[in-house]
Amino acid sequence: MSTSSSQVIEETISVTTSDTAQLVSNEEATSSNFTQLNKFSELQESMEDDLHGSHGIRRRQPVQKIEPGSLNILSAKYESLDYDTCENHLLLDEERKRGYPFVVWKDIARWVIVLLIGVITALIAFIIDICIEEFSKIKYEQLKKSVDKYVLLDKLYIPYLLWVLTNICIVFIGSMLVAYIEPVAAGSGIPQVKCYLNGVKVPRVVRIKTLFVKAVGVITAVVGGLAGGKEGPMIHSGAVVAAGISQGKSTTFNKDFKILQYFREDHEKRDFVSGGAAAGVSAAFGAPIGGVLFSLEEGTSFWNQALTWRTFFGTVVSTFTLNFALSAYHGHPGELSYPGLLNLGKMEPFPFQFYELPVFMFFGFVGGCLGALWNHINYKLSVFRIRYVSAAWLRVVEACLVAAVSATCGFLMMFLLDDCRPLGEDPTKVPLQLFCADGEYNTLAAIWFQTPEASVRSFLHDPMGSYKPLSLMFFVICYFLLSTWTFGLAVSSGLFIPNLLTGAAWGRLLAIFIQYMLPQNSINPAKYALVGAAAQLGGVVRMTISLTVIIIETTGQISNALPIIITLVVAKWTGDFFNEGIYDIHIQLAGVPLLPWEPPPLAHNIYASEVMSHPVFTLRTVENVGHIVEILRVVSYNGFPVVDPPLADDAEVTTYKRLRGLILRSQLIVLLQNKIYNENANTTWSNFNVDMNMFRREYPRYPSIDELEISDWEKTYTIDLRPFMNPSPYTLPHRASLPRLFRLFRALGLRHLPIVNDHNEVVGMVTRKDIARYRVWRHRGHMGMEELLLSSEI
Amino acid sequence: MLKYMFIVLCPLSFLKADYQIYSKLQSNLILQYNGSNHFTHNPEKCYEILQDFSEQASNFTLCSILNSKPITLCERCVEKYVTFRDKYEELLNTTINGTSCRSIFISQDRLNAVQEYHDNILSIWNKGNCNGCFDWIQGKPSLKNDTIRFYKMTNDTMDCIVKNMDPDNTEVCNRCIQSYMQLDNFYKTLSSDSIGVDSVCMDIVDSMNATRYIWSKNLNCCKLRKKPEVVFLCCAGIIAILPLIYYLTVRFCGPIRDLPNVLKQSRFKQTILRSINGRND
Repeated sequence: MSTSSSQVIEETISVTTSDTAQLVSNEEATSSNFTQLNKFSELQESMEDDLHGSHGIRRRQPVQKIEPGSLNILSAKYESLDYDTCENHLLLDEERKRGYPFVVWKDIARWVIVLLIGVITALIAFIIDICIEEFSKIKYEQLKKSVDKYVLLDKLYIPYLLWVLTNICIVFIGSMLVAYIEPVAAGSGIPQVKCYLNGVKVPRVVRIKTLFVKAVGVITAVVGGLAGGKEGPMIHSGAVVAAGISQGKSTTFNKDFKILQYFREDHEKRDFVSGGAAAGVSAAFGAPIGGVLFSLEEGTSFWNQALTWRTFFGTVVSTFTLNFALSAYHGHPGELSYPGLLNLGKMEPFPFQFYELPVFMFFGFVGGCLGALWNHINYKLSVFRIRYVSAAWLRVVEACLVAAVSATCGFLMMFLLDDCRPLGEDPTKVPLQLFCADGEYNTLAAIWFQTPEASVRSFLHDPMGSYKPLSLMFFVICYFLLSTWTFGLAVSSGLFIPNLLTGAAWGRLLAIFIQYMLPQNSINPAKYALVGAAAQLGGVVRMTISLTVIIIETTGQISNALPIIITLVVAKWTGDFFNEGIYDIHIQLAGVPLLPWEPPPLAHNIYASEVMSHPVFTLRTVENVGHIVEILRVVSYNGFPVVDPPLADDAEVTTYKRLRGLILRSQLIVLLQNKIYNENANTTWSNFNVDMNMFRREYPRYPSIDELEISDWEKTYTIDLRPFMNPSPYTLPHRASLPRLFRLFRALGLRHLPIVNDHNEVVGMVTRKDIARYRVWRHRGHMGMEELLLSSEI
Repeated sequence: MLKYMFIVLCPLSFLKADYQIYSKLQSNLILQYNGSNHFTHNPEKCYEILQDFSEQASNFTLCSILNSKPITLCERCVEKYVTFRDKYEELLNTTINGTSCRSIFISQDRLNAVQEYHDNILSIWNKGNCNGCFDWIQGKPSLKNDTIRFYKMTNDTMDCIVKNMDPDNTEVCNRCIQSYMQLDNFYKTLSSDSIGVDSVCMDIVDSMNATRYIWSKNLNCCKLRKKPEVVFLCCAGIIAILPLIYYLTVRFCGPIRDLPNVLKQSRFKQTILRSINGRND
């Protein structure tokens, strides 16, 4: 049946030459060519219902409306970055004029910029560090005084309300900044940076305003007592610093320093941003190698040896600067190996035996399960927030409520669990007596009355008997829920430290249980606390290489690598069995068309002709200004193939035209803005004084077409696009498979890929969203591919 | 046959005799070397100092072990500490005929016993911040005024407690609370940080800990700190419920928004389908 029906359709189509869009121009259409492109048996089916996509892809109901907060929708709002160099005449001119000295100069400039990125990122991290430390100190000392005073008067509600109020006030400031001034600064910033490095332009993500909001926001969030960390925001700050410095201008302050114009393109900027993110990691954790690996693992889609080396230089500079500043602050100036600089405290090497490896695997398993649960709760909460808590003031109220509840949790725990320890045995900064006997302090108060980072250090380094198992258990439950509740609020705070803290707490709890079971052995709680911390964090973020190295570097002990690696690998596998990493979940919720590392498997039978967008808006080599303006206004596309003018100007017949080049919307805008057009189509163009800097001046924020003033009489003028277009864009034939498309796209970081037929005529265009809509899902050991829907309203 | 045997054995016995002689010579040499300093010219004075140093070390060690619980180490062993320290200084600084004693005993071999023992013994003194108990005037210790005052206050408190001891403990708390609070407050002023582990001498810390233990555990005088705190629990309850109310409110009272539309994608297949449909209709 299928064959006969397909023949029927074939005939129908070959008859309907007049208005059927075929891939090869009508006069040369052959059926053989055509059958390659489409399977008509399936075409028949999809005419009846569009439920099943071809080739067994799960396709969703072709609904008109979608529920917001779905993982299966791509937002059409995100644009790609242009990583492809446009080799037009202007570039050739520039190369010819400047020659090799310019190449050398550019290389030197790159290194200097990376140096600056490292230094400035570290200084910002230093300021954040110091502010958090000092403000927290003031806050907790005042609270302690108040508790000491009122506990004797039976008026404990006064310090409690004071704590709640302080938290709310501080968080309110940060939350207002985030919700009203720069919403993109919310959260940790790592998903946004990851998207940027993948090649998606996330609006406003690398602006100076974002940096400011992020820095102030993270200080308020941590000082405000939320279960958040400063590491994610520091990474984001590094990225912003890199993007800012490398451009030699600031659009926000409307200041152009007239330097570094040659770095004003997406490609160069991306390289710097990846270096900046690495410097941020390095400044946040004091982990230079971890920073490089983070950039490699999480971010950059395109990587090369020179860039790695430069990035490494940046991270080392960043760590050096931070350590230098911090050592001066701690009163050991110049002492760069001062152990207080290690983020999680210097860890002694812990001996482990062969038979302990299963124990580490068990820890990894627990971490994977808890991490998956954490992600799931956070996912549900995020969906709820997307659907119901979208107004800015509602988000501020929510953040304040969480701040209040965080204080409540802490205070209730101190109040209800009488876990007392004698003073002086453990290093406690703010010992709070509360209901303990004289000469003792409340261990839970000691944990709550300090920054989460200091608490991690306490859990990692305090001796075995410092915490009772019951209080640890309550703490784990409480902090687990608080941290998953906090992530995604309208405050800028990360999730590294809260998860390390939760993990260290349950690692220590398990260590105590092991000690109960094996009383004759002396169990090292630090070992299990560290492994637990790694497992929990690995289960949430699902990073492996960089996380291992970061933990090794923050504890200063390479001999602990093997247990951590084993734990992290098991944690990742276990977590991946249930759901995806938290960053991927948030990226999917935002509908960002992120391209994964690998093309979907079993997809060689999906051809470019299916993937591409079909009616392509093309421009002729010499084009009418009015037409360009019209097209730019009507469609939202950003790249237009430039084609030969058709031989016959017949509007009725859809014909394909031969590809000559590719021009971007931004280029057209600049051309129109500078009025590079001519009254007469046949005039020569040499008299225009045009160079690359004309295009670089407007980068990265080009005006929209509506902002340009083009009077009616100008619309009859013509532009010759040939000197400005990219004369040799990457193209693929229409029979190329999806994996082939994907690899070309991903490896080269393309934005537009024209699809041509056998005569080099443009039949379609593939962009990032066309490829990203084929997404592989994995769940509980099953996997498959689904085709996502697009929406321009999320 | 026998003759051959003899010939073979003869050199063996020679060898054996040779070895005996050699080992005898060696032990003689060592005896000589150690006994009468024929090979090296180590001054005997150094050995005398070493002798004294070792005695002082053992005195101090003995004293500190005996005074380790309750900790009175700093106060009771301070003289022995001073002589021990001075002897070591002497050992380091004495030079006889151009040979310093230091070069004989310190860092000469893998064991480095003299320095190791010195450092170990000293570490207990430093760990206890014992120097903090005393004023050091030209290397001579004298008890600090603070220390004397602290001990006086401790004795007062303990006297009070012992004097007022009764079976149900209620009277003791009321009668002695003044002196106890004075002591407690005075102790808190001694150190700059909040715990007092950094600078306060261990004798004082231990004594205070003991007093506090007696006060709060044995006598159970800290009952002041247990009260119902109803207001606090109510506040906490209200604040804990607020988020629930908030979420329910935004869930059910929020404005109903229009759901986002799906974007129609323009694909080759649709174009063909449309055209076929158009043709068929």
